[in-house]
This record gives sequence, C-alpha cells and structure tokens, in this order.
Amino acid sequence: MKRFWCLFFMFWPITAVIVCWLAPGWNWWFPQGPAGDGLASSPLGRRIDDLFYMILVITSITFVGTQVALGYVLFTGARRGDQPADAEEGEKAWYTHGSHNLEVMWSIVPAGILLFIALYQMDVWAEYRVRNEFPKQVQSGPLAEVTARQFEWRIRYPGLDEEGNPLPLMAEPQPTDLYTVNDLHLPSGKPVMINLRSADVQHSFFLPELRVKQDAVPGLVIPVWFETKKSANYALLCAELCGWGHYKMKARLVTQPEEEWRGWLRDLHAEQTDDGVPEQAE
Amino acid sequence: MRVGLLIIGAAALAAVVGCGGQRAEFKSREDLSDLIPEAQAHVRQVLDGDDEHVGHFGSPLNSIAWERLPVRFHGAVGVFAENAGDGSGALTKLKVTLAELNRPIEPGQELVWVSGKYVGQPSPHVVSYDSKTNTVEIKPAVSVPPDAGDRFAVAPGAVLKHGRMLYAEHCQHCHGVTGDGGGPTAKYLNPKPRDYRLGKFKFTSTATPARARREDLARIIEDGIPGTYMPSFKLLEPEESQAIVEYVRWLAMRGEIEFKLVQSLKNDYSIEAVESTIESARKADEGLSNSAAREQIIAEMQEYLAGDWLEEFNDDTKFQSEQWRNAEQPDAVVLPKVARVPDTPESRARGRKLYLGQRAKCATCHGESGLGDGSQTLAVQKNPMTNEDYDTPGLFDDWGNPLKPRNLTRGIYRGGRRPVDLYRRIHVGIKGTPMPAFGTVLKDEEIWDLVNYVTHVPFEARERRPGDGGAESGADAPKVAASKSGPSLQVAN
Ligand code: HEC
Ligand code: HEC
Ligand SMILES: [Cu+2]
Repeated sequence: MKRFWCLFFMFWPITAVIVCWLAPGWNWWFPQGPAGDGLASSPLGRRIDDLFYMILVITSITFVGTQVALGYVLFTGARRGDQPADAEEGEKAWYTHGSHNLEVMWSIVPAGILLFIALYQMDVWAEYRVRNEFPKQVQSGPLAEVTARQFEWRIRYPGLDEEGNPLPLMAEPQPTDLYTVNDLHLPSGKPVMINLRSADVQHSFFLPELRVKQDAVPGLVIPVWFETKKSANYALLCAELCGWGHYKMKARLVTQPEEEWRGWLRDLHAEQTDDGVPEQAE
Repeated sequence: MRVGLLIIGAAALAAVVGCGGQRAEFKSREDLSDLIPEAQAHVRQVLDGDDEHVGHFGSPLNSIAWERLPVRFHGAVGVFAENAGDGSGALTKLKVTLAELNRPIEPGQELVWVSGKYVGQPSPHVVSYDSKTNTVEIKPAVSVPPDAGDRFAVAPGAVLKHGRMLYAEHCQHCHGVTGDGGGPTAKYLNPKPRDYRLGKFKFTSTATPARARREDLARIIEDGIPGTYMPSFKLLEPEESQAIVEYVRWLAMRGEIEFKLVQSLKNDYSIEAVESTIESARKADEGLSNSAAREQIIAEMQEYLAGDWLEEFNDDTKFQSEQWRNAEQPDAVVLPKVARVPDTPESRARGRKLYLGQRAKCATCHGESGLGDGSQTLAVQKNPMTNEDYDTPGLFDDWGNPLKPRNLTRGIYRGGRRPVDLYRRIHVGIKGTPMPAFGTVLKDEEIWDLVNYVTHVPFEARERRPGDGGAESGADAPKVAASKSGPSLQVAN
C-alpha cells in the first residue's frame, strides 16, 4: 500500500510535466497567430512571452525539484517499517523539529527570485502600461476609440480633412467622426494607440495574438497601444465575463499598411456620407 | 480529438433543441386556440402537415421547401435545357439553365427533379459541373432524356438547413424557434426582439407598404441595431449571412401565412361563433340535436376548405410571395432624387423650423429639444389595427409593445447613420411604429434639411450642457489613463 501511494503521488506530477511538454503540439498553447508559428505578433508581446517563459522555467525547475524531493521522501519512508520491532537497525523513521538554516534558505532564495522577477519585468510593464513610457509614435494621440458595450465593440474613428487625411481624434464625438462595429482597422508596422472605454459594465479588451489584455472600466478612458509587424486579421475578444452575451463579443482587428489604412478610412468616409444619390458621371 | 468532436456534436444538438427548454418545433399563434379543434387541425395540417398531408412548412428539423415562396432554399435551381450527350442511349450529361446558384455545385450533391417525369424517382448525384458550358454530369444516368424545362434542385434544402443551424446558434435565444421574438432571453430585453411573424421589419430601404429586401436584413445582421440588444454579427461569412437571411424570411412568411389562416377561419369557426351558430340552428329547428348541428357545421367547413377557401388561400399566398419578390426589384429601393443639401447653419435652421412646425410635427413626438418627450407620449393613442384606444397613454408599435420616440440628443440611429439611412427613416417612416412616413408631405430638400438638423441635435445638446468643454471629460481619470487628445476643436463642416 505504501508503494501505491508513492507511485500515486509521483504519477500526477509526471503526467503534468508530460502534458505540458506535449501541449504545444496539440495546439493547447498560445494561439498560432497569422504567421502560424505561435509566437506573439507584436514586439512587446514577444517580450511578454519571454517573461512568461522565464517564469515558466523558474517554476518548472522548482516544481520538478520539489516533486523529486517529495518522491524521495515517500520512497525512503516506504522502505521503512511502521513498528520499531520490524524495523531493522537504522531503518526507523526519524522525527525532526525542522532546520533553522534550511528555513532561512528557502525563505531568502524565493524572495530573491521574486524580487528579481519584479525588477526584471519593470520596463516591459512600464512600456505596456505607463503613458509616459509609451513609444514616441503613439504620443501624438489615439487613432480610434473603442467602446465596449453589452455585447459588442463600437469603434469611433476621426473623420478626414479636406485632403482626405485623418483628423486628430477628439475626446468627445465630433460630427465628422466615422463609426464601425466589431471591426477595428489600424495601421501595421508601427505602434498605434486606441482609447478604451465601456458604455455599461466592465469588459476586457483582449487581443490574444498580440498578448494585449486591458480591462475596460466604466467612467475611465484607458489608452492601449500595440504594434503588429504583419498586416493581418487578428481576433478581438472580451476577456471579462460581462453578462449572458459575453461570448458574443467577438470582433476582429485588421491591420494594414498605413497607406492602405488611410484608403480604408476614406472608403468608410465615402460610405458614411453616402446620400444615396448616384454620382453623376463626368 | 475525439472528445472535441463529441462536444461539438452535443453543442450542435443543444443549439437545435435550444436552451431554456425550447423545443425544436414551431409554436402556434395564441389565437389559434380560439378556433374549434377541427379548424385548428386544419391550420396545423396546412402549415406543419400531418400523417396524410405534407405541410407547406413542416417543422424546424424537417422543413419543407414550398416552391411558391420566394426563398432560396437550395444549393442551386435550374431547368433542363437540352440534351448534351450524343443523343443515343443513357444520358449522363445534362445541359441546364440555372435560375439560382446559391452554393457552388460540387460532385456528390443530390440532384432532385421537382417537375417533369422524374419527380419522385430516386435522385441522381452530381459527378461534375462545367460552368462554362452549363453542363451537369450525373450518375446514375437517365435512360430517357427529361423534357426541356423540367425543373430540378441541386443540394436540396442546403441553404435553409445551413440557415437553420446558424439561426439556432446565434438568434434563437432571442428571436425564438418560431421567429416570434419569444426566445428565453427575450423577457429581459427592451425593446423586444423582433417578432418576424407580421412580415414587417422596421429599418428597410423600401417604400412604406413594401417588404424588406434581403440586403436590408443582411445589413441589420452585419451591423446590429445600435442602442438595442440586437448585436452585430460582423464576423459571419457572406454565405452564412445569406443563409440566415433566407431562414428569417422563411419564418416571416410562415408567420404571415399562419396569421392569415387563423383570420380566415376566425369569423365562422371560432369556438364562440360555432356555439352561437348551433344555438340559432337549434332555435330554428327544435328537433335538431347539439351534435347533429355541430356535425353539419363541420361538414360545411370541410366543403368550404376544399373549395372557396382553398382558392382564397392560393390567391393570398401568391400575392404575398409577389410582394416579397417586388421588394427585391431594383426600383423598389427608395433613393433621394436630389443630393444632400449642404449641411450649413441655414439648412439646419430650416430643418429646425420644420421640426417644430405644423407640417412635420416632429416635436409633438420627439420633443422640442429632441429628448423624445413630446406631447404625444402623454396622450392616449388609438391602435391602428383594431381602432380602439390603448389602455395606457403613450405610443405603441404594431407588435403591441410600448415604445418611446427616439431621444435624438444621443446620436444613436438604429437604422444606420448614413445620410441616406436617415433620409429613408424620414421618407418612409419606421415600419410598424408610429414614426410616420413624410415622403409625400415633405420635399426632398426639406427632408435633407431635417436630416442636417437631426444629426446636429446631439452636438447642440452638448454645447448646452453646463460646464462641459469636451476636453475636461477625461481629466479626473488617473494619470496612466488620462487621454491626451488635446482640447476639443469644433471641426468646421
Ligand atoms: C440579444 C438578443 C438578440 C439576438 C441574439 C439577435 N437579435 Fe435580432 N433583434 C433583437 C432585438 C432586441 C431587436 C429589435 C430592435 C428594435 O426593435 O429596434 C432585433 C431585431 C431584429 C431584426 C429586425 C430588423 C428590422 O429592421 O426590423 C432582424 C431581422 C433580426 N433582429 C435578426 C436577427 C438575426 C438574424 C439574429 C441572429 C444572427 C439575431 N437577430 C440575433 C435582439 C436579438
Ligand atoms: C407620431 C410620433 C412621431 C412623429 C410625429 C415623428 N416621429 Fe420620429 N420616431 C418616432 C418613434 C416612435 C421612433 C422610434 C421607432 C423605433 O425605432 O422603434 C422614431 C424614431 C425616429 C428617428 C430615429 C431613426 C433611427 O434610425 O434610429 C429619427 C431620426 C426620427 N424619428 C426623426 C423624426 C423626424 C425628423 C420627424 C419629423 C419629420 C419625426 N421623427 C416625427 C415617433 C415619431
Ligand atoms: Cu464583454
């Protein structure tokens, strides 16, 4: 019976390690992304992944180490008898009130590791979340305002000036603004910023392929920036259970080269100022 | 992977059956139960069919493609044009003329004859299709060539079946299995999900009495209805959206026909009417027993159903189909005759004057400042269908739901925010609601003035809001979240 428990407690960590090892092959890992390689589609996303992998390595080593230690203790314990009588000399279980040195060690080492992670991730965090650390290209302002609403994403773009160039996006809606729903178009190949709002409850703006996740909080206007190297369609989901129709909040992010994006905006402008009268042929 | 498949299978099943205990069958109208059981049975037989008769619609899981309806049921529909083989012996290559091509014709699809000598025969399968020569190769071969003009359908019911699955997945929990707007989530929503059974849709591009076009419905599905719980289904593929549109139209047609069926029998064969007929018959003839009188009425009814009634039914359904077809004609689209009047302060001022004036009377519903609080919202209105007063003051739509005139200061336009959308809302009104059609009252230029005014109301309202400069709105947000888009500048237009 002792052997059984020994095997039982070793079976689960071994299974866990094997499953984690095989998971990417089963597509249980990060989304494949438009490149099909499972890597983050944004430069900052790659760095977030690096952090993730670093933490994964640290926790994996810890996990395997502690499980091996557990296995060792169980196994040696199983070889010993319950009764002093049937225990051979030196094979009796021994009792301990702990080791001060060991405790100090396993307090200081993890604390050191945590401190290291906290400091090490600081610049990624700052770049992701702190307005002043955002890349220079997005400091000029957001390109769109995304408003989460039960159960869709309503998007407001700035209108165009006389030359057909986008105007700056104002905090309040303007008569010239353009609108789409569940369809966020932005330029690729450079950092871009959106303003995130919520019209009702809390939602979360989630671009899994870019590793962007930001809660949309009623009453706040939250800037979010990201960058896609590749012009492609990406999934935009809601990652905060926001009501019964939460699962319906599925939209798309379409990134395209800057010129193409401007062209798309002009098409949108043409569509939204359509008065239904056919253009007179000239 | 087997687990994944199983779950998908179960989920699909659940989708068809529906949540909240909805059953995969069409619910009858409530007023059907006013009829005597024999008349009820007839209505059900016509719609759903019974052991002996094929209905015109069937059930959700076993639907019938009734040819009279202008619904795209099948993958493709066409007629046999001429013999393409060498003319001798069995024929495998059919030269055809396609009337509808809704899905690509692919090998393995069933080809069913719907007219001519092969109706009811085991159907062949498509081996190949050549779109250049319009030739379908089939297997097994037909021994005798069909007659030119014989109709057939390829992939029978493919579009409707696809539509049903998608409808069950995306729409049914609000709009209900029958399309009666009575799905399990409907009771939490205001406005209520549309009940398709009146055959009426609010936001269309067609004239006031006309039906909705396919593209109107497709647009609603793609963009949703802002300001309501009708969500946007932007990510549907065009093929999927097309299939849902056909299914929604089919449900709408079914609902309309059901309504007419009940109406046609209500006068003479409601429980009440039959009781009073029996009474008067027995007054006239003392010796007549109750059951004999009743039997006589039933016999009369059967005779009526086989004769005049059937003729009327055919005329009605043909007329109805014609109306749906007419809406698809290019000239059914309402388009302004003059281009939008430039959106100038003068134009808006003219619009404002019309808005408040006696001719358009917009303010009586929408209120002087556009808040949707005009005087009519406090008055008791008449039901246009029954000509009786409603019990409570305020406006109602044709589905009997109370509704408010739109609050125009919010700048949310359910029927779309393009100028042409707003033009149409004012020109043809919002069907099924008290929002009237002004196409005959106002000139195009005047409607454009109104559009210019209405689209400016939200900004006017904002300018009036005390202490709101626009840019300050995000100022109390924390620093990380503060928006730095600079002061709001009024963009000239
Ligand atoms: C969350 C509930 C909900 C879901 C899901 C939903 N609808 Fe709706 N739908 C509504 C509501 C509410 C309205 C009525 C809005 C109004 O009256 O302004 C509506 C209206 C409509 C209309 C009428 C438009 C008009 O011009 O009158 C159509 C057509 C429609 N829905 C189709 C669909 C289809 C197709 C689907 C599935 C793909 C769907 N709906 C899913 C809630 C829903
Ligand atoms: C009898 C009352 C009534 C009058 C008069 C009336 N409306 Fe409306 N209007 C309504 C109602 C009710 C609705 C909301 C219908 C719905 O969506 O269910 C509405 C909706 C609207 C909308 C919103 C359209 C959209 O897409 O959301 C506009 C714009 C509008 N009305 C403009 C006008 C203008 C302009 C006039 C005058 C020319 C006018 N209305 C006169 C009752 C009225
Ligand atoms: Cu959400």
